[in-house]
Amino acid sequence: MKNALTTSRLDNLFVALADETRRAILARLSSGEARVTEVAAPFDISLNSVSKHIRILERAGLVARRRAGREHVLHLEPRPLAEASDWLQSRQRAWTGRLQRLQALLDEEDAASPRPSKGVRRP
Amino acid sequence: MKTEDHLAITVHHRFRQPAERVFDAWLDVRLASRFLFSTETGEMVRCDIDPRVGGRFVLTDRRPDGDVEHTGEYLAIERPRRLVFTFGIPAASPTFDIVTIEITPEGDGGCTLHLTAEMQSEWKDYADRARQGWAQILASLEAALGETTA
Repeated sequence: MKNALTTSRLDNLFVALADETRRAILARLSSGEARVTEVAAPFDISLNSVSKHIRILERAGLVARRRAGREHVLHLEPRPLAEASDWLQSRQRAWTGRLQRLQALLDEEDAASPRPSKGVRRP
Repeated sequence: MKTEDHLAITVHHRFRQPAERVFDAWLDVRLASRFLFSTETGEMVRCDIDPRVGGRFVLTDRRPDGDVEHTGEYLAIERPRRLVFTFGIPAASPTFDIVTIEITPEGDGGCTLHLTAEMQSEWKDYADRARQGWAQILASLEAALGETTA
């Protein structure tokens, strides 16, 4: 098990990404830092619920904030996205490896005791 | 329920052997212990398979850093075309995957195997609301955010 992504971090990450509003917030922040009020402006929902979305994104490590005077300025932390992709790819590689091992085992069996089957030509 | 609504990965492999042999390997203790959850540096110290719907399997791989126990339950056994089972590593995580294997016989005596591993978790319900597949969501987000990561 890689310790880069624990189950709870992964849960937080995918929960965060599973929502259209939150993905839109990430897209907004991809063009640069923004104040909470600026992030909230395009959405037809209360500032309070936008804040909730932002907290979920922060919990997932996708968004971080800094204080600028009385304002909170948000920025994107893209690293967890890459980690999630890597995690999916590593699982894909694991299953690919298992299928290749199965192929090798079956080939090994065939080599040990060839059983001719219809339509299969062997060199 | 479509798999693309969930966090899932798919892989496929074209086998030279017939569908029946490929299918049977998954439920055969001798073969499964060598390909399924084995690792280069590990030794399979336990391989119990109860090949019926509702039956369970336990495969324990002894690795240099400790034993890793893989467990699951068979949900569908339809020889030779379809096998569905849950799969998890209880010591690492309370969540599990649903693995679906579909095997299609080919005209030349071989077969094609498609495998989908679908992750079940607390965020599964959220994922249902996402219209796109997860791989797509991640890929498009990464593309959209690409400029900022560079």
